[in-house]
Amino acid sequence: MSETAPIWIDPLGDYETKVDARSAPTNAFLPPQVPWDETTSFKAKLHRIGRLRYYYKWPGHGSRLWWRTRYWPTRRRVLDIRGEYNRKTSRREKTIVDKRPIWWAMAFALFAVLPFILPQDTWNTVLTAAALMCIYGSINLAWMLIIGTAGIFSLASYAVVGAAAYATTYAAIQLGLPWWSLPLLGSVIGLVFGVVIALPALKLDGLYYALLTLGIVELCRVYVIQSGELGSATGGLFGAPSYVPDWLSPPLRQMTLYYASFALMIIALFVYRFVDGKRLGRLLKMAPEKKEAFAEACGIDFYRARINVFLISSTFLGFTGGFYAIHFGGASPNLFSFDTVLLSLSMLVIGGIGRSEGAVLGTVIVVFIDRVMIGIGPLRYVLIGAIMLGVVLFLRGGIFGIKTQFRIWRAKKQSENRSSRAEKGGEMLPEEATETDNKDEIYRRRFDKAQRDFLKCLVTDTVIEEHRTRPLGQHSEALERLLIYFRGQTQVDKYAIMVLEDFKAYRIVGLSGRRGTPPRVVEDRTYPNANEAYHALFLRRVQDLMES
Amino acid sequence: MDFGLVITNAITLACIYGTLAIGLSITWSSLGLVNMAYGFIFALSGYGAWLASLYISSSAPVIFAAGILTGALGGIVVCLCAFIPIHDKPSFPIRGLTAALAISLAGNELLMWIFGPRAKSLPQLFGFWKVNIFGVVVTSDKAGTVVSALFLLTLVLLWMRSSRRGLEIRAMMMNPHAASIVGIGVRSTSIYVMIMTGGLAGLAAVVLAQTYWISPFSGITPMIKGLSIALVGGLGSVPGAVAGALLLGVNEALTAALLGGQYVLITQFLLIILILILRPRGIAGILDRAREA
Repeated sequence: MSETAPIWIDPLGDYETKVDARSAPTNAFLPPQVPWDETTSFKAKLHRIGRLRYYYKWPGHGSRLWWRTRYWPTRRRVLDIRGEYNRKTSRREKTIVDKRPIWWAMAFALFAVLPFILPQDTWNTVLTAAALMCIYGSINLAWMLIIGTAGIFSLASYAVVGAAAYATTYAAIQLGLPWWSLPLLGSVIGLVFGVVIALPALKLDGLYYALLTLGIVELCRVYVIQSGELGSATGGLFGAPSYVPDWLSPPLRQMTLYYASFALMIIALFVYRFVDGKRLGRLLKMAPEKKEAFAEACGIDFYRARINVFLISSTFLGFTGGFYAIHFGGASPNLFSFDTVLLSLSMLVIGGIGRSEGAVLGTVIVVFIDRVMIGIGPLRYVLIGAIMLGVVLFLRGGIFGIKTQFRIWRAKKQSENRSSRAEKGGEMLPEEATETDNKDEIYRRRFDKAQRDFLKCLVTDTVIEEHRTRPLGQHSEALERLLIYFRGQTQVDKYAIMVLEDFKAYRIVGLSGRRGTPPRVVEDRTYPNANEAYHALFLRRVQDLMES
Repeated sequence: MDFGLVITNAITLACIYGTLAIGLSITWSSLGLVNMAYGFIFALSGYGAWLASLYISSSAPVIFAAGILTGALGGIVVCLCAFIPIHDKPSFPIRGLTAALAISLAGNELLMWIFGPRAKSLPQLFGFWKVNIFGVVVTSDKAGTVVSALFLLTLVLLWMRSSRRGLEIRAMMMNPHAASIVGIGVRSTSIYVMIMTGGLAGLAAVVLAQTYWISPFSGITPMIKGLSIALVGGLGSVPGAVAGALLLGVNEALTAALLGGQYVLITQFLLIILILILRPRGIAGILDRAREA
């Protein structure tokens, strides 16, 4: 007890008698604002409670019936909309869970009107690039089926396309076939070629197969370059019939070429959707890498499914090869070059393996850099390579995997923050708070914490000494505040004094809070008189407060 | 048909491609990385040697040293970009392969941008002489190629067998996980491995430039041949790579002599596919000893 401790004088002292009013040394006055400022300003950070709303919440449909558009033959809805009840605002609201159909529709609309919004003098570059992009996009979608859905790391897609293009051009020159038969012939050739290169895939592991298919592409390239029949002298085999009528004017020809390629890409998207989203794709999603044994034990013949996907996509690649022949009027050895394979692989990797939108977006990006930014020369390939390297090093699922990856990262950071927050102090964590229906509880706990922070500042030796000398009766303000807080605690585990023998033996017990259940014994010590027991009990409560 | 010429050609090419195959094999078995940027390292070291011959000196040791050092530098670059950042991440084999392909794409085009599409040639390093062995005329560049390739390969294999770093690399080849448990640093060892294999590529580039040219894309075909040899021999096995190189060299020589040059790749790939179907891990890669992907 210091000399400067202020003296408290009992305000209820008897003025009539000549006896001095009761007094005791006590704490200096501590405004509750001081510890409040201290605790809230830097010591215990008050966290904003709740989750951010990542989705736009549409208002509910009110008294109207919920109207949903469905595709005609199926019961499938156009948009996946989830309705939910917001407990905070007590209103219904709707969330669009999957916005991809909207993006697809916008992209399709853009592609459909592309010739009309472009000035006509850019048609030569941009429309040609867009047509090329659509053809590359369809090849990539079929390739994505092989790499993503079937999980076969094959690099021989361009071998199939090129073989079909060369064979159909050759057949058209020799037999004079009409243009519409070339894609069909190409499909047959693609299927045959697919069967041939699918055979080693049954036996070989992923990387071995990748290297082998790379070799097959090189084999095709060297064969085509050396063979006189396939136009080694003219740098490609040309002379296939074109699907564009001769009498069209040049702008109309370009538009026809563009829309035909666009139609090809739409067919490719349908193929992708009906392979990846239907039975075969479902089977293969059950058998991802390193889970094959489990899938096999479930009765999934994933080898067969993989080979089926491979053959379907090879057939489509052959179709694309036939289309390539009638689009460009022939085939060139460029189709087999290592750079074409690399560029196409970079399209898949940049967009994200295993999703159709990834194949399309990657194709758009790479073809744009390759064909439109032609002014920077070979540097554009360096740019593509740099983008591809960055995507491989930093992203797990390409550009379209960023969202998932960001969410995983955010969840990781959140849980790190949660575990590093040492001072919880009875406040609710944000996640806990959102799950609680009674929001008053959040604020009650927050108030309780602030109150305890304040009361902790009041516990001093002076106050304890004051309580020791006189446990009952009127006390100084600080002690009185503490005692009032202690009295207000719930009955569960509240300390009480049990009289073992009147005026001789007292003991501290903890109340159970439940009728019929006797209090538990807290310590086996007995106290010789009531005041000592009161003080011991007070010390216990103070200790609990300081520890909370 | 001059069988002597065919055979000496086959042996020379087998030496060069075998060197590349051994480099690829060692990289794969110790790091688990299919170094698709090997063609880029090859072309890069060719240009390094060419620059040295232009600006420093055109003597053989300088050019060899320049080629090998540039190759080692290229190996370090590939290691820093495609191995060290992702080697402990999920689905590393495919990602590493893709990253190496990206380096190859960007690097080759960078060479194209810097040096232009015109091919360069190195001075003749081995002089102009001929030797007649049992009626077969061996020219100086062929003899020099075989001798230098065998010399460097022997040196590398001896180093791997006898030095402490070689012990670490061999431990990584056996089991990378166990190697890291007993205290072998995966990253530092990967740098050594890439320096070594990059140097091998540099040597192959310099000696191949004796007969062919140096151009930005000259590395692709040798790399694919090296990969085929490594595949046949079993990725990760040095004796397998030697056997594969000999086998494919003989095949190439025989096909060129009996059927004609344009059928070489066809018979080669039929042979590779046949061997791989019979033995999915190549000639020497026995299933339980090969590295798990």
